[in-house]
Amino acid sequence: MERRNFLKSAILGGLAGAVQLKPSSLFASESKEVQGENDLVAVMGGEPLNMYKRGISAMGGMSRFIKKGNKVVVKPNIGWDKKPEFAANTNPELVAAIVKDCLAAGASEVVVFDHTCDEWQACYRNSGIEAAAKAAGAKIAFAHDEKYYREISLPMGVRLKSAKIHESIIDCDVWINVPVLKNHGGAKMTMAMKNFMGIVWDRRYWHANDLQQCIADCSTYSKMPVLNIIDAYRVMTQNGPKGKTTEDVVLAKALFLSTDIVAVDTAALRFFNQFKEMRIEDVSHIQRAERAKVGTTNLDAIKVERIKI
Amino acid sequence: MYKWLKRGRVVLSVALAIMITLAFMFFSNRDNFIFSSILKIQFVPALLGIFTGSAIILLFLLIFVLLFGRVYCSTICPLGTMQDVIWRSFSLFRNKKESRFKYTSPISWLRYLFLAISAIPLVFGSSFVISLLDPYSNYGKISSEILSRSEQFVHNLLSEIFPQTIFFRSYSQFIAVSFIFALLFLMIVIIMSALRGRLYCNTVCPVGTTLGLISKFSAFRPVIDSESCNKCRLCISNCKSECINLDNGQIDASRCVACFNCMTVCKRGAVSYKYMWKKIREEDVAPIKGRREAILTMGLLGSFIAARAISRKMPAKEPETIDGIAPPGAKSTANLKSNCTACQACVAACPNGIIKPSTGQYGIDGLLMPVLSFEKHFCAYDCNVCSKVCPNGALLPLSLEDKKLTQIGQVKFIEESCIVVTDNTACGACDEHCPTKAITMIPYGDEGLTIPVVDRDICIGCGGCEYVCPAAEKAMIVEPRAVHKLATPPKVEKQEKIVVDDFGF
Repeated sequence: MERRNFLKSAILGGLAGAVQLKPSSLFASESKEVQGENDLVAVMGGEPLNMYKRGISAMGGMSRFIKKGNKVVVKPNIGWDKKPEFAANTNPELVAAIVKDCLAAGASEVVVFDHTCDEWQACYRNSGIEAAAKAAGAKIAFAHDEKYYREISLPMGVRLKSAKIHESIIDCDVWINVPVLKNHGGAKMTMAMKNFMGIVWDRRYWHANDLQQCIADCSTYSKMPVLNIIDAYRVMTQNGPKGKTTEDVVLAKALFLSTDIVAVDTAALRFFNQFKEMRIEDVSHIQRAERAKVGTTNLDAIKVERIKI
Repeated sequence: MYKWLKRGRVVLSVALAIMITLAFMFFSNRDNFIFSSILKIQFVPALLGIFTGSAIILLFLLIFVLLFGRVYCSTICPLGTMQDVIWRSFSLFRNKKESRFKYTSPISWLRYLFLAISAIPLVFGSSFVISLLDPYSNYGKISSEILSRSEQFVHNLLSEIFPQTIFFRSYSQFIAVSFIFALLFLMIVIIMSALRGRLYCNTVCPVGTTLGLISKFSAFRPVIDSESCNKCRLCISNCKSECINLDNGQIDASRCVACFNCMTVCKRGAVSYKYMWKKIREEDVAPIKGRREAILTMGLLGSFIAARAISRKMPAKEPETIDGIAPPGAKSTANLKSNCTACQACVAACPNGIIKPSTGQYGIDGLLMPVLSFEKHFCAYDCNVCSKVCPNGALLPLSLEDKKLTQIGQVKFIEESCIVVTDNTACGACDEHCPTKAITMIPYGDEGLTIPVVDRDICIGCGGCEYVCPAAEKAMIVEPRAVHKLATPPKVEKQEKIVVDDFGF
């Protein structure tokens, strides 16, 4: 009896293991071959929603990045107590569209949060993101206290060797990075890599220990976003990252999507240069991240699709 | 009839005390001014705010007391209600005999001493002493330091149970002096009221003494009908003011808080709440003394108000240097120190939690009055809550537009402490936080670095830069402005609208 039971369970277990392993490995090898799956997609000329729809389908659809049952985090920039027209935060319509898409792709839950600079409740409320994300079906996570962060190590980091990262990033299956394109007084530009400052607790350390290097170091984190989506619908071209008035904002109507965080920042920076000159050497976290093999600044070496609406 | 009067008074007093407490609670004082607006009907806030919109409230309160006696003390004052609750709670653990009050004679010299030491400095522009004795303001301190902290503790327990729906409230700054003062005051009031009912109100409280002087002459007063009274002493046992003297059949109107207990308990209907003004004219003998005192009190109150009015026209000399930044709306440190009673309504309402009771930044006579601290956060640009909740007019309401131009301090940039200089690396945290762009970044060296430059005229002193500066010795320090100034409006920087129809790569 005992031996029979043992054999039975061993066989069943073995089968289960094989079944579980097989599809995921098959899926991974297949997905690279599917058409329309670009490394980087740039969209311009549309409204947030239709630019996103065109962009994500050119990236191969959300199901390329999210599997059924995944716990997903969508991390916009909600840093400031500013209304959407000031472009200090990610466009709420875009955040809502991504949340809906994740849920449609089978995500078991979608969490939205940011470690804000201004008082967090005012930021969540006035950015319009809390309401938009909730309406789209997301959960809002709290990120205003150190207790919501856990220490991780960054073995590849040059100056930033460890960081306290928000628990929802650590606990999720995949996360999507959704920054807004802005000029930035200290870091020169704020795009995808700079948006990591909102997943960590102690930002002040970064500022005190070579900001550009720390930004690059944090991008060596083992759990990188599966997708980076830079919102450039409204672009703050001066007085960033907080801005004073809507005079600081231009209606650029663009969107950049990529799996490569260095490439997407490079693309967004080149786009930004058409409004205001900004040398890539001065935004040195981009090239430092490239040297750490986080991604590439050579947009000719990757598969890029440009869509004009 | 008296039963219903008493019930009405109890319901109203409990409701008001709860609403006043809610003005200090986090869950109820966000995004609304319902509860904080009730604070304005308190006597000392109304008196101090007489020139800033509270004159009608003060007039109403005075007429109310002139008509009905110290009903204020048993209805509107939250500390009064608290003392009744304390007495009742202690009575639960006492036998009937121990729960009986006795008649005591007034300690008049002490009452007038407390009144004098509170009122005289007020005339000369210091609200310090009254801030330590005012019943409402001390109830505020208790609410903010003890009740609100307990609320925070419960809130955080709940946030452990429901981590997804209830957020953790980061612990606010703890100012030991303020907490200890509130705790000591609470303990003193508990002891006094547990043993002797309204002893605080009738010996220490300057508001009680003032209103007591007026009540001596009020239109309605409790009187004992010696014909019907059989001296059963039931009224005395229930008089928390300990002011019924059956030996001469008199009720001390200056100490009676018009709680209606005596009228409710008297089995023979011998105590009644009588209209006395008509009677005075008929008899015209005994109450004359009371009338004189009342007229004297009104006269003193009038000259007090006149003196305040004069001192307002001639503002006190501002100190050369002060260490504390007063909240926006304070106008000046002198204005704060002559109107603030440290009730902590602003401390409890600040969404960023940066207002704390002072510990000497304004000098000893500004102790526990609100001061800004940029240690944990900074003053939000789009916020004027503190200026709107102040019941005293120590902080005057500011529109958002005015608040954004109110210079409460000015930043000083200490270049040699700046990360860009010491480490030769990029930072710009200060520029990032500056809402008016008083701080901008200019090129530094030839490695593409930028360093802050400050325009002090545009700076409003919000402290964003000071808070966020990561340097070991802060390179951005906001210097307080003893008199708040109007800042130069931020520069309007129009930019030419470039139309782009390419990706740029």
